[in-house]
Amino acid sequence: MTTDQDLPMDAQSATLVFAAKGIDVTPNKDQGVIKVVKRPGLDGDRPMIGDRVTVHYTGKLLTGKKFDCSRDRKEPFCFNVGKGQVLKAWDVGVLSMQKGEVCTLLCQPEYAYGPAGNPDKIPPSSPVVFEMELLKFEGEMLTDDGGIIRRIKVKGDGYTNPNDGASVDVHLEGSCGGRLFDCRDVNFIVGEAEDKGVPLGVDRAMDKMQRGECCVLYLKPKYGFGSEGKAEYKIGPDKDIVYEVTLKDFQRAKESWEMDLNEKLDLAAGVKHKGNQYFKAGRYFQAVIQYQRIVSWLEMECGTGIEQQKRIQDFILTAHLNLALCFLRIKEYSQVVENCNKVIELDESNEKALYRRGEARLLRNEFSLAMADFQQVLQVNPLKSGSSCSDFHLPEQD
Amino acid sequence: MVLLRLEDRRAACLGLVLSALQKQVSQLPVPYTKQQEEADEYGLCRCCIALAEFTKSFVVEVKRKDGNYATTAEDEELRTELLKFCMRSLREPLLEAELNRNRKSSLWLFATEIMVILPAIQESLSELLFFNSLKKSTLMDNSQLKESRACLAYLLFVQLITMDSFPAVFSPVFVLQCNMEYINQLLSSKKESHLLKGLALYSTSLERVQDNSLPVSLLELKSFYSVPQNLLKVLTDCPMQHLRESGLQVFQLFINKLDAEAKHKFFRCILKTSNHAGVESYVVKNIRNQVAFSMKPGNANKWFLGEEFVSLLGLVLCLPQGAETDLLNSMDRIMESLNLLRYLLIRDEGLWSSTDVWEELGRIQDEYLKMLRVCISISRAYYSAELKALRENQKLKAKEARDAARSTRLVKSITVKHKQVSNMSPDVQNQVLQSALVTFDLMESLIVRIEEITEEKLKISN
Repeated sequence: MTTDQDLPMDAQSATLVFAAKGIDVTPNKDQGVIKVVKRPGLDGDRPMIGDRVTVHYTGKLLTGKKFDCSRDRKEPFCFNVGKGQVLKAWDVGVLSMQKGEVCTLLCQPEYAYGPAGNPDKIPPSSPVVFEMELLKFEGEMLTDDGGIIRRIKVKGDGYTNPNDGASVDVHLEGSCGGRLFDCRDVNFIVGEAEDKGVPLGVDRAMDKMQRGECCVLYLKPKYGFGSEGKAEYKIGPDKDIVYEVTLKDFQRAKESWEMDLNEKLDLAAGVKHKGNQYFKAGRYFQAVIQYQRIVSWLEMECGTGIEQQKRIQDFILTAHLNLALCFLRIKEYSQVVENCNKVIELDESNEKALYRRGEARLLRNEFSLAMADFQQVLQVNPLKSGSSCSDFHLPEQD
Repeated sequence: MVLLRLEDRRAACLGLVLSALQKQVSQLPVPYTKQQEEADEYGLCRCCIALAEFTKSFVVEVKRKDGNYATTAEDEELRTELLKFCMRSLREPLLEAELNRNRKSSLWLFATEIMVILPAIQESLSELLFFNSLKKSTLMDNSQLKESRACLAYLLFVQLITMDSFPAVFSPVFVLQCNMEYINQLLSSKKESHLLKGLALYSTSLERVQDNSLPVSLLELKSFYSVPQNLLKVLTDCPMQHLRESGLQVFQLFINKLDAEAKHKFFRCILKTSNHAGVESYVVKNIRNQVAFSMKPGNANKWFLGEEFVSLLGLVLCLPQGAETDLLNSMDRIMESLNLLRYLLIRDEGLWSSTDVWEELGRIQDEYLKMLRVCISISRAYYSAELKALRENQKLKAKEARDAARSTRLVKSITVKHKQVSNMSPDVQNQVLQSALVTFDLMESLIVRIEEITEEKLKISN
């Protein structure tokens, strides 16, 4: 019996009909979302919180009137489940589905559009019915390049996440090809996980985790042990690794605006030094994090008096120059240009900035722009002409 | 026509044609007023409509094949070129144009065309706006891309173009969160057309959210810090009054949507970062409203009553420049702060549950009032001296004028002029100085009243 035949219904009969045939999928059993399965899915996993799910759906009022349908757009709908991106009813309902399942959800207004409704489409305090089909689901991408994929096993709680500079207490279990190589409790500073031999991927996932959360991270080599591998764990080059991470506790670092300027200036020297150390060790991503901290602390500050202003400017300039260099190594050329531009805004004839920007442009095949930069370098410092010329070379043929 | 007859490399040619055409069109000035738009002196509107027409046949090409699962590389290229066209058009001219759904002008129609092309070439609006799904490098500069998307968000959510086919299942908080990026982009511009759109998008996104519901974790997001900062810049620096007025409304709307803890954190942030007495006084007024709200039955919370609140109060009742505070400049803020203090003392009623908290408040109050009194006496001395000197100068001038009138010779006055305070006339100067002194009196009387109330309370509790 399809629910299409059953509409229109009034709220009470709808609840009765659904409750008789279906199950209450709400965590506290308040009948806010009742599901009737029309076609069971493949037996197996259900989506985990945060997973990227793909569904087709049709939304109707109890009058039978359709107000939204993905099939009309000829496009399945994607979102991250359990994260408050969509109606509460969906977050609850979809988590209970299996791949391929088709079901109908009766949703009370508290789990849907609430007392306000949705102007034009949904009257205030309306229950609604959704027919859902779960097409597929996959882990949540934490970075745009898909290098860190997360699947949450145990949801954390609380409203805040660790930030850069926060102190975190975690339990880690790292494995490669099914073999466990790392199992320990460790405390580290976000942005400086490298110091404790914790890979970049785990570090970068921290600011998306909640207290008490346990998740599994699938890391591509860029976020793992790279082309070096890690001999002491017997991991070869360019291997994908998996880390199960439990965030036991953390202490957030102060917001930039909570700190006063002198505090920031005092700390900036240390941060710069740390960045330099990472750079020398070839840990460019980690170096970037440190230098970016300096920028975010100081870019909005004015300082009082000429001396303080100069100190701020010096830090910012050096940070941007170093960032440009790091991004050259990582081959993120547009970031190189952006950072060089910032330097040139403050100091028009900054030789290093012009040169590094030229390099980046050259490697992006923007030849005329690159030439312009290099020519400016020669103008600024004609004595350099000898050594600079030897650095000019044609891009390599693939 | 020629292009349609081409077999291969059609997409690349289309791309070249469109980008060349758009480059030319982008040089045309965008109409500002309704009259300008109707006159269309430079032909911008006509060009846009023509461009839209031109692309239609290609869109049909791409659409026709969407039944099949397999798409050729050629189709993909065609799609990419059309996408580029749309994204460029969103930036120029649509972002600059004034669009109003009650008046469907040619540029409005052009915007609608763009919004229809996008789903036709299988670019889902929700993916484009919320899930960052563009292969970045091929398209355009990062910040230009953001501008295009910002315009798209505006057209969809504010002008409601193709809104009925947009998924209705997103939560309003999520929509706000995603739009904040675009609002930030728009509010960091100095152009009126951008600012208007940014404010409208901000306002619309906030309206769909329930009052008192935004959690403090949202404030940790960079955009939730930058947007209010940019908004405040508009409020304090923008020369256009209508923008400042709407800006203030949106600022208050944002505050209303934050929950108690978030409000607390937000007020702390603004007090620490704004350096503008007007803004600070506005925040202090909000704080007083929150305290009043929290005292109503059922609303009690630790953020505006008790221990946590005292830390916020410490930020309100302080004079960062100490004895060198310019009282007149900070007048608004100081008066609001004193009013808040008086309010707290009068409406006590078990506010200060623990004696520690009460003592802390007392300490903050004492330090503040002591420093304030010092500032008042310094300022009063200075302005009184100025006023006296002004009067002396007036007398001297009057005497000279009388002397000059009596003698028949023109006497060159060798007046020892007191240092010019400003370019104002002596009468105006007089008024300014007088009102300054009145202000100090006002402040002082408020302080006295506060001290009276405090005395009474101490007597009662002993």
